[in-house]
Amino acid sequence: MKQKPGKLGIREYAAIAILMVGSKATEDTPAFLYTGSQNAAWMVPILSAVVFFVPLFLLIKTISLFQGKNLFSVIQQLLGKYIGFLVCLVIFIISSLGISYDSRTYIDIIKAFYFNSTPHLVLYAILMAICTYGAKKGIQHIGSVSYLIVFYTLLSGYFIFIISFQDSNFQAILPIWGSGIPRIFKESIHRLPLFADFFLLTMLIPYLKSSKEFRKGTWIAYSYVTIHISTAILMFIVLFDRSSGAIGYPFHTLIRYISLGNYIPNVEIIFFVIWIMGAFIRFTAFLYVNALMFGYMFKIKDFEYLIPSLAAIYLMIGIIPESSMDVSHDLKPMVQSAAGPAFAAISLMVWIAALLKGEFKHAKNKSGL
Amino acid sequence: MLRIKVVCEILVIFLMISILTGCWDREELEDRAYVIGIGLDRSEHKGKIQVTMLLANPEVGSVQGGGGSPEKPREIISFDANDIIAAKGTVNSIISRIISYDLLKIIVVSEELARDSRFTSIIYDIINDKEIRMNAYLAVSNEKASEYFLKNKPRMETRPHKYYQYMIHHGIENGLIPDSTLFRFFTTLERGSDLFLAMNTAAKREKSPRYKSEDEYTAGQVEASGEFDDTQFIGSAVFKDGVMVGKINGLETVLANVLDDSTNIKDLLVDVPNPFPGRRKQIAVRLMKREKNKVKMDLKGERPQIFITIPLRVVLMTNPSKVDFSEKRNQEIIKKAIKTHTENLYEKLLLHTQKEYKEAPYPLSFYARKYFGTIQEFEKFNWAKKYQNAVIHMKSEIKIIDYGKKQSEIDKGEK
Repeated sequence: MKQKPGKLGIREYAAIAILMVGSKATEDTPAFLYTGSQNAAWMVPILSAVVFFVPLFLLIKTISLFQGKNLFSVIQQLLGKYIGFLVCLVIFIISSLGISYDSRTYIDIIKAFYFNSTPHLVLYAILMAICTYGAKKGIQHIGSVSYLIVFYTLLSGYFIFIISFQDSNFQAILPIWGSGIPRIFKESIHRLPLFADFFLLTMLIPYLKSSKEFRKGTWIAYSYVTIHISTAILMFIVLFDRSSGAIGYPFHTLIRYISLGNYIPNVEIIFFVIWIMGAFIRFTAFLYVNALMFGYMFKIKDFEYLIPSLAAIYLMIGIIPESSMDVSHDLKPMVQSAAGPAFAAISLMVWIAALLKGEFKHAKNKSGL
Repeated sequence: MLRIKVVCEILVIFLMISILTGCWDREELEDRAYVIGIGLDRSEHKGKIQVTMLLANPEVGSVQGGGGSPEKPREIISFDANDIIAAKGTVNSIISRIISYDLLKIIVVSEELARDSRFTSIIYDIINDKEIRMNAYLAVSNEKASEYFLKNKPRMETRPHKYYQYMIHHGIENGLIPDSTLFRFFTTLERGSDLFLAMNTAAKREKSPRYKSEDEYTAGQVEASGEFDDTQFIGSAVFKDGVMVGKINGLETVLANVLDDSTNIKDLLVDVPNPFPGRRKQIAVRLMKREKNKVKMDLKGERPQIFITIPLRVVLMTNPSKVDFSEKRNQEIIKKAIKTHTENLYEKLLLHTQKEYKEAPYPLSFYARKYFGTIQEFEKFNWAKKYQNAVIHMKSEIKIIDYGKKQSEIDKGEK
């Protein structure tokens, strides 16, 4: 009953996607959404998802024309060798900066809440070492591990949600439109990078059993994650009310606040362990995808040997910013404001190129024959 | 080859074990001093505060059976510091172990400091210390916090962490003290439109407290005789915009807790005037609040109208006039008596706080939010200012679910 090596099933793929994107609710993203549109922040992920759905849908439609090809090969095939390479390079650089600054945020959280006196570099090195180890094992292993832990992560999320109910005040979501409808729409466009990871995950298509499974998995994960993030933000709003903007990492403040009755007061460590496992998966998958991109661009077949060196480079980029403030207020917004429009534009570009080249007609003819 | 592989694997396991200790954050249980309470006072030196720390001795009471150590259960240190955060470092010149706020239960502030306008900025420092949990309680003591901790020597519950846990837990359950966690303090402060109630406590009894009827005491006034601790937790200190402005007594705190849907007060025993003829003028009833309050507002006019309906379930506990409650007429009479009595109490509390502190003693502004579309509109409305002129209509919905024992049966027993 050995599974066919090298292929991901729909469960594993959806698990990876949910862990990668869903974990955004547990870092500093909710605080930023709150400062943007205050107590209507929970609408923003839903609206962003609706907006990002269009480019993502077109991209997946285009890619599915090329059976078993990944994003980069489709781009190069449609846009030509040179422009294609340039576009791929842009994607790679954006996602490299993304992984560096995201992992730095995680390190900041760990240092601020759990390991106060351990130096940044050591924590970072451990995180990267584990992710490298995981990524080197290959995508099948990442997939099965994420399928193993995705339920724990989600269940612990619901559990926290239920416990925090006791102290929540649901009137905090009123006035319903928060800082105004135009503001919400503006913010939703601004927050497109929330779902940018789905764009990057199209790199994994060749590793899935079929492109149909990829499509299905993407949409399952996409809709689930949208609700997940939105609910999480709602939970933070009804609990923290106006302080939500001032609390940098609401998830961690929350798990330090809740208790299981009088006799089990300080329970954050249980949730911390589950959270950190989710984080490992997130960066392992991210690292793997980045190595895949790099390997594809420079025609390196055994790209898995690149993982350690890439991890070291990301560590070095991530360690540069002096404080967590620099990361979350300057660098991350910068990368995100580049990532959102760039990924949406590339998706549209790929679709238009395919349309102009008549790929859709070819495909129809083929299937007609 | 195989041997090399085995050796390598063992080495990796050893490496992992060294990570398990937590790198630089290695914590030895032996090496930690757990702070249970922090006291804050005004200092004699300008720009400083006096910090008192109550440290628990983990060895006391932890050993089952005999063989406990002869050490004292606690240690108390007071010193001057610039702020709460820096105090943690200073105290290590006195305490041999590393100070930990992990088990911090209570922050006691002297009334003197709480009334100081600097207090908001002093207490805000707490947010910066990630080790202080937001579910620690904030209390205001009548005397200096340093004296409070010294005076407070529980006879039965010598372990300080247990003492505060039980004391506060049961106080909140009875409704005599508010559920004043730091979390609620900061969220109320950020909202800026309501009063915050912090529990009031005192370790000294007043010399000759005036007798008052049930629960209308503030801390230190409850008169009791016997052999017990002098410490009392009753009533609350009222904070407006993070600075203490006054005090309300135990009964008013109970009422405020019933009004506040976010507290989980279960049931409370109160006396209502006896509407029936007889020598005893009070009937003891148990009030239970199971449903949420209904609040309606009319915010259009110059003076906003606020309609509050409180659903209460009542169990009659005594029947001093030996009334037969199987008669409908008597049921109506007692129902009406309880209704007017509770309505009067609530109105008195709200009018009192509205007049004196100009804000509501619980998050009433939440109910106003649904009448607005956006935050900007709500802010323009300026709740804090409008509330001063608001007209409040109280209504209690009484459901008597139990009229107590049938009187006739008891009469038979007496014969």
